[in-house]
Amino acid sequence: MNIDNTASQMRKGVLEFCILSIIKLGEAYPSDIIDMMKSANLNILEGTLYPLLTRLKNAEFLTYRWVESNSGPPRKYFSLTEKGAKFYEELEATWLELAGAVETITGKNK
Amino acid sequence: MKKVININFQGTIVPIEESSYELLQQYIESLRRYFANEEGRDEIINDIESRISELFQERLKSGSTCITDDDVNLIIKNMGRPEDFEEAEKGENESEKNKTDDYSKKGENFFHDWSGKGKRLYRDENNKILGGVCSGIAAYFGIDPVIVRILFLVSGIGILAYIILWMFVPGSNMLENGVRKRLYRNPDRKIIGGVCSGIGSYFDVNPWLPRIIFLIPFISFFFRWGHFGPLTFPNFLSFSFSPGSFIIYIILWLVIPEASTTSEKLEMKGEKVDLNSIKNSVLKEMKDVGIRVGKMGQDVGEKVGKMGAEAGNFAKEKGADFGKEVHSAAYRSSGVLGNIITTIFKIFMYFILGCIALAIIIALFSIAIVAIGLFPLKNFVLTDGWQTVFAWGTLIFFIAVPVIGIITFIIRRFARVKSSNKLMRYSFIGLWVLGIVCFVSLITSVGRDFRSISSLSEQQIPLSNPTVKSLEVMPFQNLNYRRIGWFNLEPFGTFGSSEDTAFIGNVRIKIVKSPTDSFQLSIIKMSNGRSRRFADTLVSLINFNAQQNDSLLMLDRAITVNTTDKFRNQYVEVTIAVPVGHYIKLDKSFGYGNRVRYRVFTQDPDWYYNNDNTKDYDYHYDIQYIMKQDGLYTLDGERSDWRDDDDWNNNSTDFNNQATPGTNDNSGGYRYDKNNKIDSLKNIQDTQIRKMQAAVDSMKAAREKEMNRLKDSLNKAKEEINQKIEKLNKGTALRQNNCEQKIPDNYTFIMYI
Repeated sequence: MNIDNTASQMRKGVLEFCILSIIKLGEAYPSDIIDMMKSANLNILEGTLYPLLTRLKNAEFLTYRWVESNSGPPRKYFSLTEKGAKFYEELEATWLELAGAVETITGKNK
Repeated sequence: MKKVININFQGTIVPIEESSYELLQQYIESLRRYFANEEGRDEIINDIESRISELFQERLKSGSTCITDDDVNLIIKNMGRPEDFEEAEKGENESEKNKTDDYSKKGENFFHDWSGKGKRLYRDENNKILGGVCSGIAAYFGIDPVIVRILFLVSGIGILAYIILWMFVPGSNMLENGVRKRLYRNPDRKIIGGVCSGIGSYFDVNPWLPRIIFLIPFISFFFRWGHFGPLTFPNFLSFSFSPGSFIIYIILWLVIPEASTTSEKLEMKGEKVDLNSIKNSVLKEMKDVGIRVGKMGQDVGEKVGKMGAEAGNFAKEKGADFGKEVHSAAYRSSGVLGNIITTIFKIFMYFILGCIALAIIIALFSIAIVAIGLFPLKNFVLTDGWQTVFAWGTLIFFIAVPVIGIITFIIRRFARVKSSNKLMRYSFIGLWVLGIVCFVSLITSVGRDFRSISSLSEQQIPLSNPTVKSLEVMPFQNLNYRRIGWFNLEPFGTFGSSEDTAFIGNVRIKIVKSPTDSFQLSIIKMSNGRSRRFADTLVSLINFNAQQNDSLLMLDRAITVNTTDKFRNQYVEVTIAVPVGHYIKLDKSFGYGNRVRYRVFTQDPDWYYNNDNTKDYDYHYDIQYIMKQDGLYTLDGERSDWRDDDDWNNNSTDFNNQATPGTNDNSGGYRYDKNNKIDSLKNIQDTQIRKMQAAVDSMKAAREKEMNRLKDSLNKAKEEINQKIEKLNKGTALRQNNCEQKIPDNYTFIMYI
């Protein structure tokens, strides 16, 4: 069993949740999301973020608007839709439940 | 020193080193390929490009004069390469796989992995001549692009398919055709252009084999068995060979490059493309499958904790290794085996479905071609308004839509373009349903126009000279009929100069025995129509001419129909009654498309008018017939059959005995004696000579007899004449009334006896 593999799996599972929670704070630009995640010590490749955002957008959890940028082409700023907000709440509930459970179990073991 | 080029990247001008530009292009191409099956592929690529562009701008603003390799590499590192994504996504797939115990679904993934990875149909932009479709296909299948080009050129629908492929298949300039052998013309062993020897070395056969294949049509042309003889080729072969072999050779000559340099000659002879190499490549493919299967096995193995790295016989090893979890391991391995079986089954299914689809496409295409061929005639059949609308609807929605739909579907499958575009599918189906509605409406509407049948009208045509000895039936020569080009629709022919007139060869000529001793001509005109009255009107509009000039009877070959009156199966039946002892001959130009008749009106009993006494005879064109008391005979004494007669055998058995009645008297003398044994060549010769002598004798005897008879009759005639002269002398002596006129009459009368 590979430790990297397991770790990346764990990260993967919460990635969408993290992204949605960043966007929930306000309109976000992909590189902002990357920066925030980096600062939180959660490293992901930018190349994996774009497909993820597109999928979420196609699932109608996200919407975006174009914002003119003075450095290069116009940027896409993403924000949550109503459906996305609902989805986020569900995810959050699941996460809290899970985190609590993990906490309890790992806490017991210690 | 590096060359810097300016590119327009996402709407901004970016100065970039040429090598970096290529690096960037390759990277984006690899992303494109990675996200090929992703729904929002273009959007993702676009977003990434925007981001890269932005990073470029930042870089340029910070003072760089241009983008270098390092910059691009750094950006790629930050964005991540497809391999990195795979690494990152692997966990996700893994967890998904664990979530589900549905092994058949896993098999589907496996199937897509196997066939989808690395192999996608692209247009090859590097080796393109037109759009790169052919070289792309060649790269996909690993064959020489020239072959694909030739197939496209030769096959009829190639052009359409090419255009559609051009539209739907994405282009790529990173394709590599792994084939090491190419088709060249061989200048060393050439006879004409070196095409055959080149083909020979490509397929590793003797160059004489392709040569003979090219020569067959010429041979068949000389021996005339290419089309109708006992050794008939299948139609499509003779179609493609007989006129085409020469053309195909020329095309090949033009398309295939000549192997002029040494490396080209080596390429020409390259790796064998024969059964063995095909087998090898298939085996390699199977090995790949084995490796993939092995990989899956490995993953499973890791899950459980132990798994050897061996790929081929993993199932066995697994069975041995997993002491504790025998159950689950066996379960899983059987699942994998099941996957392989499903995969093979699927391949077969795809193959069969492909064949069916191909058949449907071909059928639709031929319907389309027929429909297009018929379309110029629509004005003669369809009334304006709804029928025309329905006809167009049928052509477009019922025929064209499914053709386009199926072709598009297949190409999308081929190109692995995944889309859940339900709107398109439903609109296709919707349009087709509309087409069906149009088709049914058209059929019923036209059918209604043909529904009723005219009442019977038989018309006797008076002949100017009905007692003529023989009659030859000819068409009026003033019309030049011709068929509509390549499209052979029998009842129609068009007349060169007028577009609103069509000629229908719905004329049938019947020969019957005349009850009197003169020729009789009667014409029956019939038609279908919306109602009986309408049909009767159409009948009255049929203009059919017949005219006798001594022994010539001129008839119209066809009925004219114009666009206002329409074609409603107008039909003319000409009955020629031939008196006994008289001759009849039909010109062969009648035998051309005249027998066609739509039997849509047989429901009406009126059509079967009472013709028990006037049975008509079967005849051939351009042969003179004589009407006898018991039927129609050729001049050779061959009896023609009743048309529609069931037991024609009875009629034809005894005509041999009646044949050549004149020579019966003398034929006995030279009859061959069956009891006479022939045991040597001498004997044969002797009998031959004897027979010949006998024949000569009998001929002599016949001549003598004939001469005697002639002498006798001459003597008789002489006597008679003498008698007459005496009488005449008496008559003139007595100076009575003149009766000279009667004398020659009597004379001829005697001679006939």
